[in-house]
Amino acid sequence: MNFFRKVCAIVAKDVAAELHTREMVSAMLVFAVLALFIFSFALDLRGAMARAAAPGVLWATVAFAGTLGLSRSLAREQQSGCIDGLMLAPVDRSAIFFGKAIGNLIFMAVVETVLLPLFSALFDAPLLQPEVLLVAVLGTVGYGAVGTLLAAIAVNTRAREVMLPVLLLPLAIPALIAAVQATGRLVEGGTLAEAGGWVRLLVVYDLVIVAVSMLTFGYVVEE
Amino acid sequence: MRKLGQDWLGIVLAGLSSAALFVALGMVFLYAPREATMGDVQRIFYFHVASAWVGFFAFFVTFAAGIGYLARGERRWDILALSSVEIGLTFITMTVVTGSLWARPAWGTYWTWEPRLTISAVQLLIYIAYGMLRAAIESPERKARFAAVYGIVAFVTVPLSWFAIRWWRTIHPDILTSGEGMAMTSRMVHTLLTSLAAFTLLYATLLRQRTRLERAADALAWLRLRAENEKGV
Amino acid sequence: MPIYLAAAYAVFWALTFVLVFSIWLRQQKLEQEISDLAARLERSDKNTG
Repeated sequence: MNFFRKVCAIVAKDVAAELHTREMVSAMLVFAVLALFIFSFALDLRGAMARAAAPGVLWATVAFAGTLGLSRSLAREQQSGCIDGLMLAPVDRSAIFFGKAIGNLIFMAVVETVLLPLFSALFDAPLLQPEVLLVAVLGTVGYGAVGTLLAAIAVNTRAREVMLPVLLLPLAIPALIAAVQATGRLVEGGTLAEAGGWVRLLVVYDLVIVAVSMLTFGYVVEE
Repeated sequence: MRKLGQDWLGIVLAGLSSAALFVALGMVFLYAPREATMGDVQRIFYFHVASAWVGFFAFFVTFAAGIGYLARGERRWDILALSSVEIGLTFITMTVVTGSLWARPAWGTYWTWEPRLTISAVQLLIYIAYGMLRAAIESPERKARFAAVYGIVAFVTVPLSWFAIRWWRTIHPDILTSGEGMAMTSRMVHTLLTSLAAFTLLYATLLRQRTRLERAADALAWLRLRAENEKGV
Repeated sequence: MPIYLAAAYAVFWALTFVLVFSIWLRQQKLEQEISDLAARLERSDKNTG
């Protein structure tokens, strides 16, 4: 079985498991909407302030909902003993990493697909531009990749899932700043060229973080 | 296990760093010029920047030690990593606290999202998380392995955070602190470099002590194990 | 104004001292354990030897 097919098999397994219960994605969605409401009330977001705050609230919400999904996904993996099974089979460690990470990215993408239109409507912000989608993809890829690695670590600690936000959020800061700034520029009516510096930073972050996560993942799952 | 005898290197380092710190302090207060806009408070700058750079260097050492541990699996790499984090955290805490103490008289507020201060706060959070991670794992082998991975990934994000924060501040400058640039005269440069050298020596001294402590603890644990097994003590 | 300058340099010194003191404390604890262990071994040697 070549690399690509192994990755697809792992992704298919995760997606099928989730389609069965839908508990993880629905929890992420409910949490995200609740977070949206809390932010709106807490920061008293109306009118022009709402539109200005939209990118920040969006990405904060995605980040927090993301930690939920990432922890759950890796915890489920550990409970089912699936990773141990994968380790016994002749599967390259990086294939396991990409399989898990892409699965997590799909779940986050589902949540964002609901969130973007919702935010657009509630904050009166033009978030449904293809450029914003590009930024969303880039931001999610980096966050999901390092999140998968760190969730694999967190799940094996005494504190378990609670450890993940502590480990993940400081490392996600470059992506968070870049995504918020780029989205903000685009929402104000700027072109992709104007947000270009931030997009380039996101690309660099993604390349670096995916490479490092892929290379070190094997050391986390080996026993 | 190598025996731990009299630590001549440690004594030499302690002597050198004490002397260097003394000289640097002298330069800060007597040699460096009085800054035009901020006055004497500006003298905080020299040790503040020195601790920031050496703190960052300490985390680089942890990054390198992490790679060393994953490559070789030897405990000495883990000892280096954890010791460097402890010292790095001390230096970065200095950076953040003194930065805040400088901000108050210079700009009227205890906190400013100035790039150096912000990236130091981020590093503080990252390496506190590193400590929490180590504390949350029982098995020494797993602790070392996971910490090594985190030390590597975390450090890689720091330069990226630095750029992101810098650009963010360029676009949205703090109205209060937008006159942040300081004209550096040559005397200021000399003082800064001396402070940097002194802090580097201090780092080496502390690292030596901390790693020796950890090796002694390891040796004792091993001896205790042997005593229990062989003597039933 | 100078109070902030003095406070900042006090912080440098204080934090360095905290770290050095913490290392020294842990070293003392180790040395205590070493003498305890040595004593236990001596007792055990006397009983069996």
